[in-house]
Amino acid sequence: MQLFHCPFCGTRDETEFHFGGEAGNIRPDGADVPADRWANYLYMRDNPKGAVREVWVHMNCGEFFVMERDSVGHEVVSSTSLDGAGHAR
Amino acid sequence: MRNLAEKWTAMPDWRTAVIDTPGLAIRSLTGLHQFLVSGDLVAWSKASRIPLQPVGAFGTATGDTCTIQVARDRLLVVSAVPSPVAQGWHEQGFAVTTVSAGLMIFDFEGPACADLVPRATTLDPGKASASAAISFAGMNAVVYRHGERLRVHVDRGLAAYFWTWAATVAAT
Repeated sequence: MQLFHCPFCGTRDETEFHFGGEAGNIRPDGADVPADRWANYLYMRDNPKGAVREVWVHMNCGEFFVMERDSVGHEVVSSTSLDGAGHAR
Repeated sequence: MRNLAEKWTAMPDWRTAVIDTPGLAIRSLTGLHQFLVSGDLVAWSKASRIPLQPVGAFGTATGDTCTIQVARDRLLVVSAVPSPVAQGWHEQGFAVTTVSAGLMIFDFEGPACADLVPRATTLDPGKASASAAISFAGMNAVVYRHGERLRVHVDRGLAAYFWTWAATVAAT
């Protein structure tokens, strides 16, 4: 079992959380978005080894947040509420 | 035609059902009003004249009306009386939704309650957590103390499962 940190509730069991994708993958807006931009949004992932920034949701309270963690050692570095996390970075 | 009802556990009569083992009694609580408040909780408190005293997981609620925090911007209000504020969206920035029929409330009493909790959740009951919405017995539940007792709110559709789980755990 791994413990994750919800910015609102605090430390909870990993089973209470759900992965929401890589942070910064913003949905294209508008009717004239080119196909390759949509393809990038839907299918292309950086999938880095090591430090990652990801969107997660705490299923019990519904808090969306950005978690910085290590994809190799699974160490969690930080959890920041989506409002203040600069998701678009 | 096959009677598919036989596949399902019969629903207990919640008015009289009790799990009674040495040191632990579990009953359902009926007759309480439950409503969700979403949005600006301070504005709701002003409009309803109900003090905003949010209770988190394993926190202690008191009185006939208590405000249980289930998310950053959402309360589950449990009260002996109906909501003083009408259901629906309010211009002050909050919404009220009655959920009395959606959630069953179970009341756990007795010293053996402390042995049951670690089998239901990995959360430390001695540590504060802002939201009372936790995973409990493998399901999403709202858990807090009311006086000396533990209260657990579960989805009504899962109440029979939860009752079976509680009876099994209480007996072993």
